Amino acid sequence: MAVVTKAETPPRPPRSRRLLYRLRVLRHDPTAALGLILVVVLGYLVVAPLVAVLSDAFRLQYGDDVHAGQAAGEWTGYYLWRVFRSQISGLLFWQPLLNTLVVALGTVLFALVLGGGMAWLVTRTNVPGRKWLAGALVVPYMLPSWTFSLAWLTLFKNERAGGQVGFLQAQGVHTPDWLAYGALPIIVTLGLHYYPFVLLLVGNALRRIDAQLVDSARILGAPQRTVVRRIVIPLMLPALSSAVLLVVGRVLGTFGTPYVLGLPADFRVLSTGLFQSIRDRSTGVASVLATVIVVIGVVIVLADTRMTREHRRFVTVGGKGGMDRLSDLRRVRWPAFALGLVVFGVSVLVPVLTLLLSTVTRTPLDLSTFTLDYWLAERLPGAVGFPHGVFRGSELWAAAWNSLRIVGLASVICAVAGLLVGYVVVRGTAPRVAFFLRQVSFLPYLVPGIAFAAASLSLFAVARGPIPALYGTTFLLILVMAVTHLPYSSRSGIAAMTQLGREPEEAAQIAGAPWFQRMGRIIFPIQKGALVTGIVLPFISGLKELSIVVMLTTTGTELLTTLSIGLVDYGYTQLANAVVLVIALVSFTMTYLTQRLTKSSLASGLGG
Amino acid sequence: MPAITLTGVAKSYGGGEHAVRNLDLTVPDGAFMCLLGPSGCGKTTTLRMIAGLEQPTAGTIAVGDRVLDSVERGLYVPPEKRGMGLVFQNYALWPHLSVRDNVEFGLRMRKVPAVERRARAEAALKMVHVDAAMDRYPSQLSGGQQQRVALARMLAVNPSVLLLDEPLSNLDARLRLEMRAELKRIHEESGATIVFVTHDQLEALTMATDVAVMNEGELQQVAAPMDMYDRPANRFVAEFVGSPPMAIVDVGPSPAGLAGSLLRFAESRVPGSLEGAQCSPTAVGIRPEALRLGPPPGATWCEEAVVEAVLPAGSSWTVRLRVLDTELYAVSYTPVEAAPGDVVTCWTERMHLFGADGARLSAWDGAASPAKGAVA
Repeated sequence: MAVVTKAETPPRPPRSRRLLYRLRVLRHDPTAALGLILVVVLGYLVVAPLVAVLSDAFRLQYGDDVHAGQAAGEWTGYYLWRVFRSQISGLLFWQPLLNTLVVALGTVLFALVLGGGMAWLVTRTNVPGRKWLAGALVVPYMLPSWTFSLAWLTLFKNERAGGQVGFLQAQGVHTPDWLAYGALPIIVTLGLHYYPFVLLLVGNALRRIDAQLVDSARILGAPQRTVVRRIVIPLMLPALSSAVLLVVGRVLGTFGTPYVLGLPADFRVLSTGLFQSIRDRSTGVASVLATVIVVIGVVIVLADTRMTREHRRFVTVGGKGGMDRLSDLRRVRWPAFALGLVVFGVSVLVPVLTLLLSTVTRTPLDLSTFTLDYWLAERLPGAVGFPHGVFRGSELWAAAWNSLRIVGLASVICAVAGLLVGYVVVRGTAPRVAFFLRQVSFLPYLVPGIAFAAASLSLFAVARGPIPALYGTTFLLILVMAVTHLPYSSRSGIAAMTQLGREPEEAAQIAGAPWFQRMGRIIFPIQKGALVTGIVLPFISGLKELSIVVMLTTTGTELLTTLSIGLVDYGYTQLANAVVLVIALVSFTMTYLTQRLTKSSLASGLGG
Repeated sequence: MPAITLTGVAKSYGGGEHAVRNLDLTVPDGAFMCLLGPSGCGKTTTLRMIAGLEQPTAGTIAVGDRVLDSVERGLYVPPEKRGMGLVFQNYALWPHLSVRDNVEFGLRMRKVPAVERRARAEAALKMVHVDAAMDRYPSQLSGGQQQRVALARMLAVNPSVLLLDEPLSNLDARLRLEMRAELKRIHEESGATIVFVTHDQLEALTMATDVAVMNEGELQQVAAPMDMYDRPANRFVAEFVGSPPMAIVDVGPSPAGLAGSLLRFAESRVPGSLEGAQCSPTAVGIRPEALRLGPPPGATWCEEAVVEAVLPAGSSWTVRLRVLDTELYAVSYTPVEAAPGDVVTCWTERMHLFGADGARLSAWDGAASPAKGAVA
């Protein structure tokens, strides 16, 4: 009969012995090694670019030594001075900043009113066709964000920028500059793209509000209006603030729309300013701008997490179903439905039909000039840079193949990396490695895509140590695209692995399976579904991606999106529209099919 | 069949709290050893260390003369090379493989040829009576069937050491009863050494050949089930093993009341045993089923008691009594006639004495050896 009395702290073997033992264990368990590899790779791909762009902002670049009076490579405050205090800083920074703020604010208001209103309509009222409206009103988010700006140009373009004028101008109606270009059209088109975002977030929150909370207030004698003001709105605050901050974050990093609608009128925002600086090869200024965008992005996301955490303290989400009683709209039911239809029409039908019609008419939207030349013609007179229909020649196919290959590979890498991050985190053999991976794989979420692309350029434009210069290679595009989508895939990877737990792998281990067998026969097959969604979601969003790739593509690595923007630069409106339509069609079909097949909701793919 | 030896095994997470401290335990060759304890006592950690899924921070684990872990000597054998069988609490069947493929997996890893693999998998499934569900997937099975498949998966590779981590806790009462008998049969047929983790003392008492009780990462006692029940090593074991638990009355500063009465009686019956103890007893324990009602049969301890409540439970009757201002429970296996408020005589032939440090000093057992009366 063994009876053990309370022992003091058990004796510990000497450190060297423990270390030897630990090494023996690690030799048999590749998780730690895998974790370390991921740490190094992610550290290099995520952290190093940010460090590089920061150091470029404070180091004198070649060619600027005469102006700055310092030797190239020295530490300098020259670029800070140039961006913030010099005579051209208004042009470089302050005006774009102001414009960005105006656009962000306007877009947020627009999206809030439209998205919030529609969210209320489809979740809280008995409007006819609720289900259908709920689905249809999300469609704008599945289209590339600058689809709307091209449609806008097709309708409102005036003669200022040269090239073909828009529909109204062709009809003899003069469209003033403020209507054709600049803040107003940018706000409207971005708002049309981002309102579904608000609709989804606010709609979810509305759906989750506990009916009992509202009922208690009613029973205590509060009139309807007070209930809304004192109960519903405060409960909605987290979702609202989240929606606001996220839309601001997106607008900050968006490139296509302000490029198409802003530049012809010299209306610059931070993202297009950054692009311009890089194109002008003023690396130092570009680095400062990128840093500023990164800082604003980080502040926004941190503010969002902070606010949601603050709010979580008092928001109680009841366990019992949400507010299932719907407001009866009575006589305005059908008018409300009509309103929903109008929003759908303006945000989906009008832009898409405008683009479609513009590609089959010589004079915009004038059906008497119907032609399929822009799609099919062997030769297009007058278009020197692209002398044939989009389906002819090799450009579209080459770009499509590039998109498919680059975005596809990036998505696969991203999904596998996300799952591996999840694996290492859940295995928990190395808690510190797991912590680092969690944080670093989330980091790109804080950084607007265009700034991250600029940062990657800083790092990879020149050879560093054993790593050659990667600018202009498909490899760089794949890497950057994979890294920017990593936050979503690693989150879903962690979620999937957490749900699975360690036991299935441990059971295989006990059954005698070595590591590769466990991965190949157990982990990956079980996670097949998660892996497929992990590939498809980044793929769809990557296909529409412009901000990230616009600075990284070169002649050989043209993608569908950059091809379209290139055609806009040439002034070939119809051709550009045709390419965007192709992208929109592909991305919409894929999103729709994915939702159908995997029953995943678009909300989980909001990464796009 | 090998014995499992744990020597000086400790496990701490991040240097601070010890999940297991300084564990010395031998699971004899061919034993059915239950690791018993409340949740968080370190029993599952111990099991996982034997399996190799977790690593000790100190100590040695060996099966037979094969050392599996030795922190001191820097030796480690990974789980996949230990050749043990393990059943998880939630079974951990692979959802993407059919029942047959689940069971065949271990054989596949051992490169057993296909024909033999098939035969052995079928035999293992037959043994646990789920051969009819061979081509279904785990999600199509009931909890009990999944549990059996997990057992079959373990048995198919014919391991000499079987580890089971609370495998019955997710089953309903009836199935649990059935599986207990089943496991006992499997133990007898296979002759394997089994380590079984549970927090259910009844499960431990009914199945095990040896029980090891753990608490707060420390081993409290290792003994055969009935030995443990009759001679718990300390207060913790005494209260944890047995249901309803042993009533333990603290003596306190004044020797009045129930504890005093019991103590005086014990001292008068077995003077030698108490003087021999290092310290004087500070608590007296009586198992509810040892506390009887009615006229005492002779030289036993007896007191008057007031019946407070009678709780019939089919095969037994639990009676709440107030004895010398202390509440006590008695369990009777014959019908109790008394009603609340009645004054009855209660008596016992067995009591346990505990020292200040909680260790059991001795017991008085009037029924076992009336001549001598003391069992240390």
